Amino acid sequence: MNLLYAIVIGTLFGSGVLLMLKGDLFRVVAGIVLVSNAANLTLMASGLTRGQAPILPLDPGEPVADPLVQAMTLTALVIGFAVTAVLLALSLGVYRSGRSVDLDDLSEQETEEALEREATDIPPDEAVL
Amino acid sequence: MSGGPTKPAVSGSAAAAIGAAAVLLVAVAVLWASGGGRIDLPWAPAWDLRLAFGVDGLAALYWYLAAGVGVLVFTYASAYVPRHLAHDERPRAEEWRVHAAMTLFLVSMVGLVTSEDLILLFVFWDLTAIASWLLIGFDRQKREARLFALMALLITTVSAVLMLIGILMLRAEYGTTQLPELFRLAEPGTTVAVAAGFIAVSALAKSAQVPLHFWLPRAMAAPTPVSAYLHSAAMVAAGVFLISRIHPLLALEPALLDALLVIGLASMALGGVLSLAADEFKRLLAFSTVSQYGYVTAMLGVGGSAGAAAACFYVLAHALAKSALFMTAGAVTEATGTKLLSESGGLARRMPLLAAGAGAAAAGIAALPLTIGFFKDELFFKAAAERGTWLAILAVLGAGLTFAYMARFWAGIFLGAPKGDVQHVERRLVWPVAFLGALVVVGGVVVAPFADLARSAADVTNGGPVDLKVAYHLDTRTENLMALGAWATGLLLFAGHAVITPALRWVERAGDAMGPERLYWGGLRLLNDLSDRAHDFEIRDLRSRVAAVIVPGGGLVALGVVLTPTAGAYAVGSFETEDIALGVTLVVCAIAAIAVTFPRGHLALALMLSGVGFALATAYALIGASDVALVAVLIETIFALLFVGVYALVPQQVLRREARRVEGRSRMVRDLVIAVASGIVTTLVVWSALSRPIPVDGMAERHIELADDAHGQDVVTVILADFRGLDTLVEITVVGVAMIIVAAAVRTRTRA
Amino acid sequence: MTTSALTRMISRSLLAPTLIVALAILVKGYASVGDGFSAGVVAALGILLQMLAFGRDQVTADLPIHRAPLVAMTGLFIGFAVLAVPVLTGGAPLEHWPPPDEKPIYLGTVELITAVVFDIGVFLLVLGSCVKVIDALAGAAAEDDA
Repeated sequence: MNLLYAIVIGTLFGSGVLLMLKGDLFRVVAGIVLVSNAANLTLMASGLTRGQAPILPLDPGEPVADPLVQAMTLTALVIGFAVTAVLLALSLGVYRSGRSVDLDDLSEQETEEALEREATDIPPDEAVL
Repeated sequence: MSGGPTKPAVSGSAAAAIGAAAVLLVAVAVLWASGGGRIDLPWAPAWDLRLAFGVDGLAALYWYLAAGVGVLVFTYASAYVPRHLAHDERPRAEEWRVHAAMTLFLVSMVGLVTSEDLILLFVFWDLTAIASWLLIGFDRQKREARLFALMALLITTVSAVLMLIGILMLRAEYGTTQLPELFRLAEPGTTVAVAAGFIAVSALAKSAQVPLHFWLPRAMAAPTPVSAYLHSAAMVAAGVFLISRIHPLLALEPALLDALLVIGLASMALGGVLSLAADEFKRLLAFSTVSQYGYVTAMLGVGGSAGAAAACFYVLAHALAKSALFMTAGAVTEATGTKLLSESGGLARRMPLLAAGAGAAAAGIAALPLTIGFFKDELFFKAAAERGTWLAILAVLGAGLTFAYMARFWAGIFLGAPKGDVQHVERRLVWPVAFLGALVVVGGVVVAPFADLARSAADVTNGGPVDLKVAYHLDTRTENLMALGAWATGLLLFAGHAVITPALRWVERAGDAMGPERLYWGGLRLLNDLSDRAHDFEIRDLRSRVAAVIVPGGGLVALGVVLTPTAGAYAVGSFETEDIALGVTLVVCAIAAIAVTFPRGHLALALMLSGVGFALATAYALIGASDVALVAVLIETIFALLFVGVYALVPQQVLRREARRVEGRSRMVRDLVIAVASGIVTTLVVWSALSRPIPVDGMAERHIELADDAHGQDVVTVILADFRGLDTLVEITVVGVAMIIVAAAVRTRTRA
Repeated sequence: MTTSALTRMISRSLLAPTLIVALAILVKGYASVGDGFSAGVVAALGILLQMLAFGRDQVTADLPIHRAPLVAMTGLFIGFAVLAVPVLTGGAPLEHWPPPDEKPIYLGTVELITAVVFDIGVFLLVLGSCVKVIDALAGAAAEDDA
């Protein structure tokens, strides 16, 4: 099982990274979701126990799934959820200010703005000395 | 000017500021009369920081100055600032900014002078810098005001970093930042020398001493009451205050004192020359301040009983007179509309009270008899003469310069032929000057109370009792001869001003061309360019930045994997029949994850992503984590809806254009290589981690046992809501904050 | 947004059961699967369904949607109150009540213990947050259409 867990987690992570390297902001967000899924599965897998749900009263003969990693995974899930919601909202904000959701487009726009700024900027001391 | 400002009443904010200053003045009077006082409260006990304040002689002197001059300057400001705002056609409502910042400054100043802990002192030091930044940049619609406010802030706070380093060095060496402790423990040595040197550099920057003097004339961009306060009695005084405060440490290293002496003399000379060259009232006064604090720095460099006494008395006498002169400059500009000596004259008859007050103050700075200033020079000459002949000569020359530019200032404004119209100004612009002028004269007759205050301050500076006696002596003692020499030199310089002006202008131009101010602007420009470059580099390819984080990070982790001994690190683990369902689910999950990277359409992307999530939720359920499975299902549902909801707000053509975009081949290969490599590294790391679980026997069992005590049956919920409740509290706080961000980001419309 | 009469009827009749399920998940969370977070999400999904079926305007008129931030902040406040109250009475932060050896008070099968109060806070926060976000998105979409 260890190897299987590891391969699945690696696949999740790798796919996430691939998406994060794309130009499309929504794909980047999806990539981050996949990476956090990989992290959650790692947490769960690190419990290394499976069995009945940890709800009292327990059946004495059976193994119990580790409740601590479950609690931690839950916390991680919820925080991941909040972060993703923020990322999506920020992507929307980026679209609204740049009229594009593509990082390459945005880079180009920024570069143009930077060139414009260079052309119009007054050095701080010019007005003074 | 639009229709001429009407007579403004004192606004509420001004009254509050005046009241605060008056309360603080009464407070120091009561405290000092009752022999001082101490407060010592724990602040951050783990770091041995205490809120330790004490009123000793030195604190009392500067507190008196800050609060006393504060009352007068704030009163002046209550009439001046409304006029200032009216000239710039700004609403009068902005007035409170000045009063609030001035009060902040006053309070920080009181905190600064009473601090007995160097860290505490540093905090107030930076607070005064912030207040002064707000004040100098008050005319924030003017580019120059903003630039010069920044200059004052940078010079005083960047140098303050040196001070902090010095403080931390002392703390590392002696384990305390409490001043009394440090004075007890400190011994001559490199640490003390370097640390005290650093602190002194910061203090000299604040007192506008050469070569960091150039910010002070620039800070004249501030409204005049600000200059009258910060640049006479408070901010620049804070620098020499700090040197006085740590003088016992400085005195351990004679080289430091010599450096102070040299810097002080250089400032005295350069300030005097540039002041004599200046045509603008406030520029003249600013360089005069540089020069006058040069005297004080030099006296602190001379040290000993005489030096300490001269320095402390000098600060007192100078602050009274100088703030009166700044206020005079403001009142004259308000009455005549000019800021230049060459355009003014003959005001003595039109504004007699102002002329008298300013005359007394100018005489005080020029050290004429029957003013408190006479004694400041007497003490100065005495200390200089004790040190040696060459210093005595320099002292006389410096005092001569002072006499000359003060004579120029007063005579230029009040004597000669009247030029231009004179408008009526409020009494509040005049009587603070008259009051201070009167005080300067009273001090010249009844000097004992002033001398007592200065003496108790000098005791602290010197670290022992000093000998401070002042009186008029009608004999030919050295001090009197030196004073006569200074007046003669001054008269000569004043009379021959027209002759020496070209030389003075040359010094001024040379300073502009190669002075340290060039370095400041050059440095600022360099930093600006650097930041632009870094920004451009950063944004030119945002996507490479993502890779730039992942690749080195992954590389480091991979290095860790390679370096870890492999023996027993990787175990395949058992795979039982009952694991088949879980295994299949996990494989489905992996396939789904790979599939997410394929679709071009955005809707398919979101759906496949939730496919991964649901597969994972199933896996959780199979492991036996029903709580996690439930939450995972719910979250995946919400995710899918969120993605779709956000898509709905982005026009279809934008999404379609994005979906049709074709990647370059090399780019795709590069991304794929990075992704596969990071997947493999992750697999290895997770595999080795899972293969060697840290034995934490009984963690799970213990939690399950305790759940009953917590009256719960679902152990996971018990852990979340009880055992690890703090985690959950933080978690829901994150959710709440995220909600605020999302709602705000969704609502904010595009900037035009 | 146009939806068929049948969809609307079903949606409307589903609201109450959804909220009851959410409540059940909340109060039984201590004894069985579920907790405040799941309950909050379920309840929010119920409200989302109403929005989809009836449109934002109608739902805003029917339900106190604009109170969502208030609900969320109340939840957060309850959470911090559970943290702080034991400290005020001299205990440890988040200290459990009643103590391990005492029997809790039962209301039917619902136990009255601090952890349940805490979970109610979590529930309110999650419900309020999700509804607020849903409402913001729906509102922005409506503006875009206009």
